[in-house]
Amino acid sequence: MSWLPCGVYHEHYKQDHAWWQTKFVKAKMFFLALVVLLIFPYMDIVAPDLGPYLLSIAIMLMYTIMAASGVQLLIGYCGQVTLGHAAFVAVGAYTSCLVLMHGPELAAMGNDPNPVVRLLAGIFAGLMKAGLLYPAAIVLAALVAGLWCVLFGLPSAKVKGFYLIMTTIAAQWITVEFFITQFVSQIGGRQQAFTVMPEHFAIGPFVIDSDRKVYYLGAALVLLLTLAMANLLRSKPGRAWIAIRDNDIAAEAMGVNIVAYKLLAFFVAGAMGGVAGVFWLNFNSIISPEHFQWFWSLWWVGVILIGGVGSIHGTIFGSMFMVLVMEGLKAVVVPLGGAFPELLDRFLFIKEALFGLAIALFLIYEPNGIAYRWWQIKNYFNLWPFSY
Amino acid sequence: MEIFFNLLISGIMVGSVYALVALGWVLIYKCSGVLNLAMGELTLIGAYVCLSLYGWFVKAVPQSTTAFVMALVGTLIIGAVLGLLTERVFLRKMIGEPVLSVIMVTVGLSFFFKGTVEFIWGTDTRVFTPEVFSKKPIPIWGNIYVDSVYLWSFIAALVLLVVFVSFFKYTRWGLAMQATADDEMAALSLGVSAKLVYALAWSIAFMAAGVGGTLLGNVNGINISVGYLGLLVLPAVVLGGLNSVPGAIVGGIIIGVLQNMADGYLSQFTPGGVKEVAPLAFMVILLLFKPYGLWGWERIERV
Repeated sequence: MSWLPCGVYHEHYKQDHAWWQTKFVKAKMFFLALVVLLIFPYMDIVAPDLGPYLLSIAIMLMYTIMAASGVQLLIGYCGQVTLGHAAFVAVGAYTSCLVLMHGPELAAMGNDPNPVVRLLAGIFAGLMKAGLLYPAAIVLAALVAGLWCVLFGLPSAKVKGFYLIMTTIAAQWITVEFFITQFVSQIGGRQQAFTVMPEHFAIGPFVIDSDRKVYYLGAALVLLLTLAMANLLRSKPGRAWIAIRDNDIAAEAMGVNIVAYKLLAFFVAGAMGGVAGVFWLNFNSIISPEHFQWFWSLWWVGVILIGGVGSIHGTIFGSMFMVLVMEGLKAVVVPLGGAFPELLDRFLFIKEALFGLAIALFLIYEPNGIAYRWWQIKNYFNLWPFSY
Repeated sequence: MEIFFNLLISGIMVGSVYALVALGWVLIYKCSGVLNLAMGELTLIGAYVCLSLYGWFVKAVPQSTTAFVMALVGTLIIGAVLGLLTERVFLRKMIGEPVLSVIMVTVGLSFFFKGTVEFIWGTDTRVFTPEVFSKKPIPIWGNIYVDSVYLWSFIAALVLLVVFVSFFKYTRWGLAMQATADDEMAALSLGVSAKLVYALAWSIAFMAAGVGGTLLGNVNGINISVGYLGLLVLPAVVLGGLNSVPGAIVGGIIIGVLQNMADGYLSQFTPGGVKEVAPLAFMVILLLFKPYGLWGWERIERV
């Protein structure tokens, strides 16, 4: 165990699969955590203007990572192409929103003649008393989004490839454009958008109402999701998913129950999307169907393609690339807007065109994504001064 | 009963436009195995190019029909050139790559095209002025009327169907395309030029989408929502089976009728949106029972 990973030999599987292979890696991650958790959120003490802006970018980045994780799981590890993940994020966001808005009303209905309502009222009253309504909303959103995802994953039992892509596109349109736009968003009765007061986002006595608190919540959720995903991938379901991705017929011949594992992958991916939806709600306090357009489904697929398919690093690198490049683009275009006003009007279109171009060019020239390049750079230094 | 027949006839007519776009779609799939998710944007480009050309020609040529035919021919030529360019710049390097990458390249292209179109032409709805097809409905049976646009698109779809089917059946290029779709590697090793096949496919797809977009633009005017046609066409294609040319026509017409019927009979029970969603919902259910559509190739796989 030395500073550099060169010369580390594994004698057990346990060592091979360990998180921290050397003390160097452990120390590196410790310092990274220190920066992310303690230094970064308090940037505004040093730079009052820049700090909040950086924080909002970081929150956007976290949301992208959460949403793209599910897509990564489905496409990168299970080989089930999904082009409708925004639907599941939307289901998560709307579920948690409805729970937070109508939970207190339901809790007050303890004297209802209907025993089911009474039971639900009891549960909600208990949750409210314990101050756990928001955590319960997160869990419920994840469950509902996961089940909704399984519903559209059902055809994967019979079809794959293009036909499956069609059903996920259908999921997007049926869920967001029809179900949510036409029915769910009408429940509020006021307008298309739902607003949730910041004080509803409370875990016990802690109210998550400022950007910094949202940042911490996001950091915790991203950490949890990434840990869950990494651990799932190195246990039995993960191996089954990878087998299905590589060759599903061979996997079935080897005794993997492919239908069950595919549906499990859909469930987990949907649940991750649901958590992302809850986080989006907490960040913005407002949701409307426009937040979950088809564009975003494709955006997340673009994120994992640019980052690297089949790599957890890839999700994070891809999210960073996309979020930072778009912010950078804004930084370039907005000053130019003074000279060319029409540029500002059409910024959205430039963004769209560049996004498309980025995906296409990445796939042509860097098909393995940024994660592969990162691996190559790391390897170069590990092996230095030899190239092999 | 009159309502039913009216819905049926207009469904068939709208469906024929879908069939036209679906044809271009099936063609790309059939000859390169690529699921082209940029089809809606190709339609959009075709429609806008035709509109601009029409605007110029109508000033030079006083008669609107002549101008329109000239604009349509111009659209076909520009479409073919754009198809060749797209193949040269983006798809040539994807020969032999995994299919998912190629699909995602088309997704990237769809955004690129859409952003570019919006940047050039803006988002306001534009119409063909002076109008090309007269708004007076043509009576075909008793009290049932059709707009002349729909009648023309129906005729165009039928003509193109015959052209495409005979192209695949009786020409060497058609055969080369089918071979490439079936097994790209095997076709390459037998001396089929995949570059030529890709280029041809994209040119034809651009042209078919251009005709479809032009016809649709004549119905309601052109704006970005014409691009959603690409999505509406997907259920039609799946219904017929991804690699069947007649399937695309039948699927398109079925989807058109279904959409009109759902709009006529179901939309009173819901706040709206049935028209857009009914084909997709139908498709998901159908896939559970007929995984390869009506006439798609059933893939038999073994390890």
